[in-house]
Amino acid sequence: MDFISIAPYKRGIIFRDLALIGGAFVLLAFFLRLNWVIDFTIFAILVLSYDLLYGYMGRLSFGHVLYYGIGAYTASLFLVHVSPNPFGAIAAGIAVGAVVASVIGFIVVQTEGAPFALVNLAFNQIGYWLAASGLQQITRGEDGLPSSVAAVGFLDFNDKPTVFVFALLCMLAVFFLLKTFTLSPYGVLVRSMKENDDRVQFLGYDTFRYQWLTFVLSSTLAALPGALYAIFYGFVAPTVIIPFGNIEVIFAILIGGAGNLYGALVGAVAFKLISNILATTITRWEMFLGALLLVLVFKFRRGLTGYVADFLPRFRGKPATEG
Amino acid sequence: MLDVKEIDVAYGHAKVLHDVSVRLNVGETVFIVGRNGAGKTTLLRTIAGLLHPTKGTITHAGQEIQGFAPEEVARRGIRYVAQDKKVFSNLTVRGNVELAAHAAGEDLKAALKKLVDLYPKFSQFLETKAGSLSGGQREILLIGRAVVGNPKILLIDEPTEGLAAIVIDEIFRILNGMKENKVSAIIVEQNLAVVAKLADRIYMMKEGKIHHEIANPREIVATAELEEFL
Repeated sequence: MDFISIAPYKRGIIFRDLALIGGAFVLLAFFLRLNWVIDFTIFAILVLSYDLLYGYMGRLSFGHVLYYGIGAYTASLFLVHVSPNPFGAIAAGIAVGAVVASVIGFIVVQTEGAPFALVNLAFNQIGYWLAASGLQQITRGEDGLPSSVAAVGFLDFNDKPTVFVFALLCMLAVFFLLKTFTLSPYGVLVRSMKENDDRVQFLGYDTFRYQWLTFVLSSTLAALPGALYAIFYGFVAPTVIIPFGNIEVIFAILIGGAGNLYGALVGAVAFKLISNILATTITRWEMFLGALLLVLVFKFRRGLTGYVADFLPRFRGKPATEG
Repeated sequence: MLDVKEIDVAYGHAKVLHDVSVRLNVGETVFIVGRNGAGKTTLLRTIAGLLHPTKGTITHAGQEIQGFAPEEVARRGIRYVAQDKKVFSNLTVRGNVELAAHAAGEDLKAALKKLVDLYPKFSQFLETKAGSLSGGQREILLIGRAVVGNPKILLIDEPTEGLAAIVIDEIFRILNGMKENKVSAIIVEQNLAVVAKLADRIYMMKEGKIHHEIANPREIVATAELEEFL
């Protein structure tokens, strides 16, 4: 399908970047606590998935964490009631996330701007209520749902290095998928819909269809880190689906730079580092995140990666390129 | 080829087109002339599927298309170039053409060649962000993007509006080339020099109605009558 194919030289660039990103996360694992780095990696997948929706398609959503939570709860329930096989749990989490996103997508994609953000928030709020209260006989409500995984061959997911390597491979696979999509004509279409929906229709594209497809893809990918979370922690509670979680994802995107998958990774790691370090040293650490947000909005609108992209050409004596 | 018959179009309760009938034959260049607010852009937007008439029919190749969505109209080979010169500014020139080429099922190389043939300077700008092009270059890019995939009909809204004389000459050259290649087009235009040289027929609009049709090219040369409508 040439709509999602890319030139061979671009594929070479992606593989080079995958090696660099993989190497950077392995280095982090040497210098930081492994628990932290696993948490960063899982969060990075969630932020990557959100970047497709917000950064590339321009749809700000306050309900993305719904699919993360669905992935987490489905994986946990699978482990408890069906099989302790972690791969089955991940597959179940992704599948249920995809089905729910396909249905909700038909409703939310009909809106845009603030209504899109708020309708997604409404669905997220419903999901949170179901997890915390409405379905508490299944989810065990605020008490949370513990689960355990069995080893599959030589892969023991109770072993942290194994979980780290697996989560890292998942993150690299998601990066590869999204990078391929965003560099392909499909990616060109998604970015053009962000700019001007009407004009895309004039060219003969059914924009609703492609917006729905992008929403489903983004949301389905968000279910993957949810399932990984359930496997890593062996416990899920309504906090995994709480709408406030969306703020953290948006924060990470703003720190790194939206519409740029590298920015999503940098933002995810930077946000988690800041929040982990501040939380252990300062009581009301959220205040500093608020101050950081103000600095980002007024001084670094394109995030850290945008700033570097602007700064480097100046440093080399060349004018910065637009966009 | 295209037959707009007795259409009424309204924005809410305000009717802006009254009983408008326009036809376009194969290979014709038809101009719509009229003052601001006469309904010219509304007519093009209605043919393009952005507005739906409350009365009347729009027939293309024997099929009524007045209820079609913009993308369905575009897929029938009717391409609309809007007045505002809005390209996809964050995409490169190549990206803009690539999008059109995929929609039309045309090879990207062939589509880019067509654009460069239309305006050779674009060979240097293919990797330039379209947002940094001049107004004239944007208009040429929009026309170049619209002709990808050999459309059956072009609807072009005020292609020379707000452009410098030297750029208008360039747009004129491109439109003239399309006319020589028998591309069927309906063009809204206020520049009478361009209209007089290119038009096969002219519809003059006033207050949402077709006031007059000039079908004889010799009449078109005498622009005094047209000026009355501007």
